[in-house]
Amino acid sequence: MADLDTKPRPGASRRDFLRGSGLAAASAVISGPARAALDEAAAEAREAQDAVPVLSGQVKITLKVNGQERHTTVEPRSTLLDTLRHRLDVTGPKRVCDRGSCGACTTLVDGAPVYSCTTLAVSCQGKTIETLESFDTGPEGVPHAFHQNDGLMCGYCTPGFVTACKALLDRNPHPTLEEVKQGLNGNICRCGTYVGVLKAALAAAKSMKGA
Amino acid sequence: MTMKAFEYASPSTLDLALKALAAPSSEALSGGTDLLCRMKDDVAAPERLVYLKDVKDLAGVKGSAAEGVTIGAGTLLASVVASEAVKASYPALWQTTLEVGTPQIRNMATVGGNLLQRPRCWYFRNGFGLLAMQEGKSLVRLGDNRYHSIFMTDGDALFTSPSSLAVPLIALGATATIVGPNGERTLPVEDLYRAPRTDKQRELTIEPGEILTKVTIPPAKGKNASYEIRAKQSHDWPIVLASVNLTLEGETVSAAKIMLYGVAPIPWRSAAAEQALIGKKLSVETAEDAGKAAVKNAQPLSMNQFKVSLTTTAVKRALLTAGGMKYWEA
Ligand SMILES: Cc1cc2nc3c(=O)[nH]c(=O)nc-3n(C[C@H](O)[C@H](O)[C@H](O)COP(=O)(O)OP(=O)(O)OC[C@H]3O[C@@H](n4cnc5c(N)ncnc54)[C@H](O)[C@@H]3O)c2cc1C
Ligand code: FES
Ligand code: FES
Repeated sequence: MADLDTKPRPGASRRDFLRGSGLAAASAVISGPARAALDEAAAEAREAQDAVPVLSGQVKITLKVNGQERHTTVEPRSTLLDTLRHRLDVTGPKRVCDRGSCGACTTLVDGAPVYSCTTLAVSCQGKTIETLESFDTGPEGVPHAFHQNDGLMCGYCTPGFVTACKALLDRNPHPTLEEVKQGLNGNICRCGTYVGVLKAALAAAKSMKGA
Repeated sequence: MTMKAFEYASPSTLDLALKALAAPSSEALSGGTDLLCRMKDDVAAPERLVYLKDVKDLAGVKGSAAEGVTIGAGTLLASVVASEAVKASYPALWQTTLEVGTPQIRNMATVGGNLLQRPRCWYFRNGFGLLAMQEGKSLVRLGDNRYHSIFMTDGDALFTSPSSLAVPLIALGATATIVGPNGERTLPVEDLYRAPRTDKQRELTIEPGEILTKVTIPPAKGKNASYEIRAKQSHDWPIVLASVNLTLEGETVSAAKIMLYGVAPIPWRSAAAEQALIGKKLSVETAEDAGKAAVKNAQPLSMNQFKVSLTTTAVKRALLTAGGMKYWEA
């Protein structure tokens, strides 16, 4: 993973050169061909670079994960999922499809469940990030309900389901079975343990109520 | 696959975003649920991403049924679903938005990104281009085309337009506002789309460097509804979706707009279904006739004949839903 993360993009060196060698050199290279439009765009881009910071290469970021300020270095292309797993050793969220299509990587960003595989880490600065590592593992918590209700077989989808379930109950502490189904339909279980998952979600709602 | 490296800017105003987007090979990034996946599949490789979600002015639903509703391009699909105004007066849009993807997708994806997502045609997504031609032959025609078009199939663009939201928005007569280096323009939502004639042409009319800022829906009159048919309840795009917007005089339909999803490379307006209905009283029979009229000129490919009957059913059920009738009792 680490080597892939830092592999330079083909052609990146030209851009780095432009930036590294200052404005005079940059305009000399770009204005060479008679392409007024490109020229104008490049000029505007340089202007924008003054106003909006443009991040590239290795970027230092701070993420608020499970209540802690965590400092690390990523590239703009690093996803929140890979950053959590490979940089911060927060391995609860799992990488399965890596395409926003299965739910294994579900993470709470500002309380809302999102797919961390399809979220850039750089875009999450200043936001509250919660993974299931922070959840209550006691008898009233969602993880316990999954354990008690056979909510898992191989367990690979489980962190995503537990996280989606926690988000659902935070928003709607008394869901009906239909609401549980809707709340969890962003997660897929390849082992097919849905009956256990739905039972677990309803049981967690009950124990959170203290019933 | 790991994405190719790119620069990243997260401006906080529209002006700064336009400037940052002016650099060559820049693309807007909203929820990322489409763009980042295309980058991972190496179908897109922008050198700069300009993140729009920090431009707070782009998000939000404003207005009411009486004055019309404006939805910022940065509005999350989840916020559209949460909007009482949309739910009460534009059920065609509300229902469709509720059914997009999954709860997580709706928490990430934006209205602008939804309208401007690229086709899901598996040839396109595997790098064969929008027209998927090889040595003068259409891979779609020769290959697996079960999810491709049933209209406009005498052309070369055989993918289907991917945005669910475009279909109810067009049925409701919405306009889109785009800003770019040369100022602002407003156009009907249908004009965001075209069927490309060459592999170089995009199916979207928005130009690089431009930003979609909002869609505006005119005041709600009459009845509107959507009905979609999917293979799975979530995690997928509709196979066919019909959105209808009817003006009634008494019980007679005096005007109708009927839009279809999943049948053409653009959101497909069914003038034939509209004509079959106008001047008639809305009933199970007339709804069924409109559904049949909708597919009269369909030209399915080798594997998607099934979409013809799904389209008939979707139109019929959307119309009955708009009329407050229970299609399952009809
Ligand atoms: C599992 C799954 C199921 C799905 N099901 C459905 C479904 O049923 N129906 C449906 O319609 N979609 C579906 N989708 C697609 C999803 O809705 C889109 O990917 C999403 O709406 C795109 O929005 P975004 O904000 O994430 O866009 P992004 O991925 O950020 O951007 C998409 C494109 O739009 C451009 N863009 C974004 N915002 C702007 C702007 N303001 N101005 C100019 N350009 C802009 C970007 O440059 C990019 O090219 C599904 C996706 C997944 C993964
Ligand atoms: S790994 Fe993120 S949704 Fe599958
Ligand atoms: S328990 Fe194996 S994927 Fe769900």
